[in-house]
Amino acid sequence: MTALEVSNKAEPDFDVIIVGAGIAGCIAAYQLAQQGRSVLLIERGEAPGSKNLSGGVLYCRGMQEVFPDFLDSAPVERRVTRNYINFLNAESSIGIDYKDTRLADPVNAVTVLRAKLDPWLAGKCEEAGVFLMSGVRVDRVLTENGATGKRVVGVKAGDDELRAHVVVAADGVNSFIAQEVGLRAKQPLNHLATGVKCVVNLPAETIEARFGVTGDEGAAFAVVGDCTEGVGGGGFMYTNTNSISVGVVLRLDDLTAKRKVATDVFDHFLTHPFIAPYLEGGEVIEYGCHMVAEGGLGMLGEIDMDGMVVVGDAAGLTLNTGLTVRGMDLAVASGVAAAVGIGASLERKDFSKAGLAGYRETLFASPEGKDMKTYAKAPAFLEVERMYKDYGELIANVLYGAFNLDTKPREHLAKVAIRAFKKSPVKVRHLISDGIAGVRAL
Amino acid sequence: MSINIWIVVAGDPAVGNLIDTARSLGGQVCAAVVGSRVVADTVAAGGVDKVVWFGEPGKAPVEAFATAAADVIEATPGVVLGASRASDRVLLGAVAARLQAPVLTAPSSVSAEGDTLVVTRSIFSGIAEETVTVSGPVAVVLDGGPIPVANPAGGSALMEEVSAVTLGMTVVETHSSDFEQVDLGAAPRVVGIGRGLKAPGDLAMIEALAKASRSEVACSRPLAEGLDWLHKDRYIGVSGQHIAPEVYFAIGISGQLQHMVGVRGATTIVAINSDPNALVFTEADYCLVGDLYSIVPALTDALR
Amino acid sequence: MKIVVAYKWAPNPQDASVGVDGAVDWSRAKPGISEYDPVAIELARRLAEATGGEVIALTAGPKSVDASMARKAALSRGFDRAVIVADDALEGAGTTELAAVLAAAVRHIGDVDVVITGDSSVDVGAKMVPTVLAGQLGWPAVAEVTAVSGSDPAAGLLRVERAITGGTQVLEITGPAVLAASTDAAVPRVPGMRDILAAGKKPVETLEVPALDVPASGTTVTVTATARPDLKARKGQLIDTADPAAAAAELVAALRADGAI
Ligand SMILES: Cc1cc2nc3c(=O)[nH]c(=O)nc-3n(C[C@H](O)[C@H](O)[C@H](O)COP(=O)(O)OP(=O)(O)OC[C@H]3O[C@@H](n4cnc5c(N)ncnc54)[C@H](O)[C@@H]3O)c2cc1C
Ligand SMILES: Cc1cc2nc3c(=O)[nH]c(=O)nc-3n(C[C@H](O)[C@H](O)[C@H](O)COP(=O)(O)OP(=O)(O)OC[C@H]3O[C@@H](n4cnc5c(N)ncnc54)[C@H](O)[C@@H]3O)c2cc1C
Ligand SMILES: Nc1ncnc2c1ncn2[C@@H]1O[C@H](COP(=O)(O)O)[C@@H](O)[C@H]1O
Repeated sequence: MTALEVSNKAEPDFDVIIVGAGIAGCIAAYQLAQQGRSVLLIERGEAPGSKNLSGGVLYCRGMQEVFPDFLDSAPVERRVTRNYINFLNAESSIGIDYKDTRLADPVNAVTVLRAKLDPWLAGKCEEAGVFLMSGVRVDRVLTENGATGKRVVGVKAGDDELRAHVVVAADGVNSFIAQEVGLRAKQPLNHLATGVKCVVNLPAETIEARFGVTGDEGAAFAVVGDCTEGVGGGGFMYTNTNSISVGVVLRLDDLTAKRKVATDVFDHFLTHPFIAPYLEGGEVIEYGCHMVAEGGLGMLGEIDMDGMVVVGDAAGLTLNTGLTVRGMDLAVASGVAAAVGIGASLERKDFSKAGLAGYRETLFASPEGKDMKTYAKAPAFLEVERMYKDYGELIANVLYGAFNLDTKPREHLAKVAIRAFKKSPVKVRHLISDGIAGVRAL
Repeated sequence: MSINIWIVVAGDPAVGNLIDTARSLGGQVCAAVVGSRVVADTVAAGGVDKVVWFGEPGKAPVEAFATAAADVIEATPGVVLGASRASDRVLLGAVAARLQAPVLTAPSSVSAEGDTLVVTRSIFSGIAEETVTVSGPVAVVLDGGPIPVANPAGGSALMEEVSAVTLGMTVVETHSSDFEQVDLGAAPRVVGIGRGLKAPGDLAMIEALAKASRSEVACSRPLAEGLDWLHKDRYIGVSGQHIAPEVYFAIGISGQLQHMVGVRGATTIVAINSDPNALVFTEADYCLVGDLYSIVPALTDALR
Repeated sequence: MKIVVAYKWAPNPQDASVGVDGAVDWSRAKPGISEYDPVAIELARRLAEATGGEVIALTAGPKSVDASMARKAALSRGFDRAVIVADDALEGAGTTELAAVLAAAVRHIGDVDVVITGDSSVDVGAKMVPTVLAGQLGWPAVAEVTAVSGSDPAAGLLRVERAITGGTQVLEITGPAVLAASTDAAVPRVPGMRDILAAGKKPVETLEVPALDVPASGTTVTVTATARPDLKARKGQLIDTADPAAAAAELVAALRADGAI
């Protein structure tokens, strides 16, 4: 326990201090400012979004409730109308193509780039009166001993301390704040995955032609099987306006057990004959590794205590259903719920865990909170080896038997694709980093 | 080119490149020279048509003549070339301001097409290049080059001495320290070190490697400015030296753009860095991820 | 003393991407206080502390330089107030134009004793804005300044130390003057949370270009082509360093094979 014990009872500097200007932190800050509260939002990146791995598919209903004009005014990339699920083997692939214009009306999911979305959200917060402080890394929370034990009263960064009635930990998947005050234990490896991802620039027309979409429509490809070289996890390709987000999410325990390096698996994915043609001619403009919590409800830590609530990834609010990684919509839902609970506690001047109970209640009454329960068992299911390896091959062998009418030797496509890919100006930055280093860098 | 071509000289006669460039534009080349008579004579003999000299500067620094230089050039404005050294930039800046002339830096080529100047230059620390055509007065900053050799054809330039009103500046103290000058540009191999080096005492280890590989030692900017471990003329990059050796060893250098732009001409780049994500590896031929303190001595041994 | 620090709010080209046609895409490069400008701020603060002066922030650029984050980033570093020329007409403005705008702003502020700038801006990096600015004002300029004090501030006398090739020099200047700080003149302080909170309350005057008296240039510059420099393809060959001696031997063999040594 490293939390600082503070005894003096200074007047708080703000009603609420929020640590982390990701989606969860911004939404909570915005909603609280709308209630007329004084809110400080602290972000360690020089600018919001600068530390956040770019985007993905956002299920946007919650966002639209906060910002009714979200789809028109926010920097959304494309509206997802095509979902493609692919079982990939070394030489074959089987896909389920689900295309439905109903998905666009009303819009259910959009692709976003965090480098654009986060600054937009932070701008909305500032317009609403939030004091945004970027380039500051919170080192620890300030605690005092209250009637019911330890309570959080503020934050410390460098030599400065600032106090608030309520602190919100919105500091992402590695939330050291939640760990510091004992709300979360260090997670076992099988609850964590590492995401390696890049954004590849391509002209809009090329994207539309390759992914079979038009206008502002977009596609979300989920891929399992050989693309991860048998490591538990999956890959994805999401279309943005002028780029493609492509990445893999790999279970850490399985990576370690199989002695694989995340970035190598990612390279394998990029050069896979199924994937490479979609990216050909593109240029990598962003590259990074990030942890993903994918333990579902089992990962969820304590989310409240006297003087503090935990939201978004920091609280373990992520869902990996196998076909989709969901975290951003849960971050929105928890930000909204936190604002409700904190608002009520400020109203009653009761900042204890009991006073903040409105957060928990609102969160689990929300559709997203309910989903957390529905999918409670998904992670265990995803740990089953067959998902990643055997199913795909099995189905492929069956189909091969049915469709293989000619036996002429084939050219080794993988090689061709690798050559094609290497020739393109794509340069994967940090090519030789290993997965563990990537994780440590976070 | 029928418009006037000026070069400004701020005390240092190492302006051979300016004279060559000015000459290549084909017009009347005038030099506005601040500094001693010796400097003015050197420039005059170096191939310009006319020198305007402001007299012996006495205790006034060259910068004190900035307004005077602008006054002179304003009378016949045109293309004005200046070296990228600190004092030269001050004179050129004053001239550019007086002429409201745009400033172009880092040119790779300067030529004339009729009365327009065509400049190809590197922009934004070398991430891109642009070619511009300019009509009207313009200031161009370029590498000064060597001291010009006296024009063998003889016929020294017309020398005009003007008396100048100087700005209120006086040199009250000058301290010089000895340093060993090197010509990094001529070295076939260069060992470049960066902030990965922990203490100035560790330079001995680097010098041993340099000796074994017959290289010159260079560095990143922070080691020369800030840490002062090496002299400023040994740092490489956008604001330092540009080199193109056969081999460049980048040791404990993160490889940021502003440094790498100075070594992009190297035939082979070897990078030694403990951070596997270091940018330098994206621009290296041989990548050694590890502690320089164990790799450098081993490499020195292997080379002996 | 009235001390002005000209700082730039600009992105690092390191984070920009360049198309094959040489078009620069800045959308991923987030602007910040230009790398070396905090050194200038620190020099100014020292001078102000010694002479009891006021330190005024000055910047010019497109509207984004007046964003609240940009203001806070500047003002948290110890300025008393800021004058910001924010005008989208300055998007992509060249050195001389920017310097002319800054000079007009310095005249607008009035009675300025000294303007301190950084060594070079992170994006353009011409090291020319301070000298052209001085030229516009008709003031003395000195670059590579390592220290400045007011030797007799009442008489407008500045004592300026600067680096020269192979040494240092001390100058006495009858102000006002423009001084460009060398990159290692001072170690800038990192602003704390309280500094940032205080920054939100400091006075800011925002101006647009038409409010200033800026002379026009008679020169036209036309960009006729842009290109991405042709970078050499590098091998990117990884040499395992688990055994340093073996790694060294492998490297030396490879360099020999290449004919590099
Ligand atoms: C590869 C990958 C793909 C994904 N794909 C999707 C997808 O398609 N759809 C989806 O919905 N979700 C996806 N997710 C999950 C989603 O990104 C997260 O759930 C979501 O970002 C959580 O938001 P957050 O606000 O809780 O945390 P974050 O977005 O992580 O924000 C936390 C913020 O806190 C800041 N911070 C941290 N520590 C401190 C400190 N000490 N002081 C100050 N600031 C601090 C950080 O800089 C950061 O800005 C994906 C995740 C990964 C890694
Ligand atoms: C306008 C402008 C102009 C500039 N001009 C130049 C210029 O001309 N030249 C220039 O060099 N810079 C220039 N810079 C600065 C440049 O951006 C970088 O900040 C600088 O090059 C970084 O120097 P570095 O690599 O030595 O230090 P760092 O970036 O700190 O890197 C040190 C590296 O050492 C590695 N390391 C640490 N310990 C070890 C170990 N034991 N073994 C192996 N590796 C280790 C680290 O992993 C790290 O990668 C300029 C910047 C600006 C804004
Ligand atoms: N737009 C600007 N606004 C204020 N100061 C500037 C601006 N551009 C340059 N400067 C100052 O001039 C210095 C040198 O810039 P440059 O000539 O662009 O390399 C910078 O470090 C800043 O101090």
